[in-house]
Amino acid sequence: MNEGNGDKMLVSEIKSGNPIAFETMVIKYQPKLLSSLIAYTKSRDQAEELCQKTFIRVWEKIDSFRGDSALFTWIYRIGINLAKNDFASSYSKSAKKTDSLDQTEHDVAQFISPEIELIASESSDQIFRYIETLEVDLRTAFTLREIDGRSYEDIAIIMTCPVGTVRSRIFRARQLIIEFMNQENILNG
Amino acid sequence: MDKKLEQISALFDGELDQHELEKSLANLHTDPLLKDTMHKYALISELMQRKTQQPSKVTQLFSYLPKLNPILLNSLTAAATVLVTLMAIYQFDAGRFNADPQSTMQLSSAISSDEAKGLLLNADQNIMDHMLHIMQSNQPHDSQAVSRDWVPVGFTPSPANPNQFTNGSNNLYFHIENQQLGIKKVKYYKANKNWIYLIPLRDGRLLTVYGDVPPGIANKMIQSINNRK
Repeated sequence: MNEGNGDKMLVSEIKSGNPIAFETMVIKYQPKLLSSLIAYTKSRDQAEELCQKTFIRVWEKIDSFRGDSALFTWIYRIGINLAKNDFASSYSKSAKKTDSLDQTEHDVAQFISPEIELIASESSDQIFRYIETLEVDLRTAFTLREIDGRSYEDIAIIMTCPVGTVRSRIFRARQLIIEFMNQENILNG
Repeated sequence: MDKKLEQISALFDGELDQHELEKSLANLHTDPLLKDTMHKYALISELMQRKTQQPSKVTQLFSYLPKLNPILLNSLTAAATVLVTLMAIYQFDAGRFNADPQSTMQLSSAISSDEAKGLLLNADQNIMDHMLHIMQSNQPHDSQAVSRDWVPVGFTPSPANPNQFTNGSNNLYFHIENQQLGIKKVKYYKANKNWIYLIPLRDGRLLTVYGDVPPGIANKMIQSINNRK
């Protein structure tokens, strides 16, 4: 999971009213939340709507987040509770929307895209095969981060290299993966 | 540009200090490419989480159940009850389970069933947390903590598993937790022929009992436990 201590600072920025920090959080966790909600509701449309509602609720309630759990766990619980309420009240996706979307909703909506479907598509196998071809240092740092959820500091100890090198390797791995995806038109460039 | 992108990568990982965080957020605000890149990082990350073969908490469940709860492994339905709570966090991916195809189909079917969905909808957060806690535990539960007084009449310990009690046709498994996790009343859940009972004890602990024992039998046990000081 990508839930390092740095989320605390991000949360702090959001609490202070920084909309860019909020937007960053949405970008970071929206794919994971949307996947969870799709799995839960079995409906992409409903999941997208719930996803928007969830982040709006997060924006409204962020002051009550005390950091006792990981940020995504908290977000996830809000999403699932909203989904439960939706089911309980037989909420219809045709329910009325607000006449004027506020800025928060707009910011959330723009990051919900069909790209998430990539995750379940055959393209993922292509990407995994590509990751296997990455230079071993890049692949190791990247997988320790993404799969094991290790901090940069931990990875630096494991790989006996400076933290800055870890950061650089993870970044390079990600960029190479994106380049590959662009090259294969997996994300339409 | 690479430096900005590298900062975005570290921002995504929550590895920036305050100064870099502020700088990076400012860059994000003005550069759509950085936003797009971070969005792709998030997609890749989700992809990694879903496709990895690394042992997950779901596979831990499967390694856990055979030792302590063979009946659940065999039927899969009660396991599915608990997995309902897990699937929304850890995306259900049959490839992760290393289960045989037939079992995988059964499990998938059970998880997707209306019954399973209903169970999840009716479960409150504390129960979900409790189930997750049990399933995340790799440690055998301490059978010494289970009082023989809790075991229904006619049930005796299984020689093969100290946490299993059987009357010849039905089986029960006990798990004791040192806190009640906010559960104040007895709750129970059904998945086909298996049942899970959550029983708050007066001393502040939570007793979880599961097996193919219907409420008609379990009720006497629950009443008996409740009536004890």
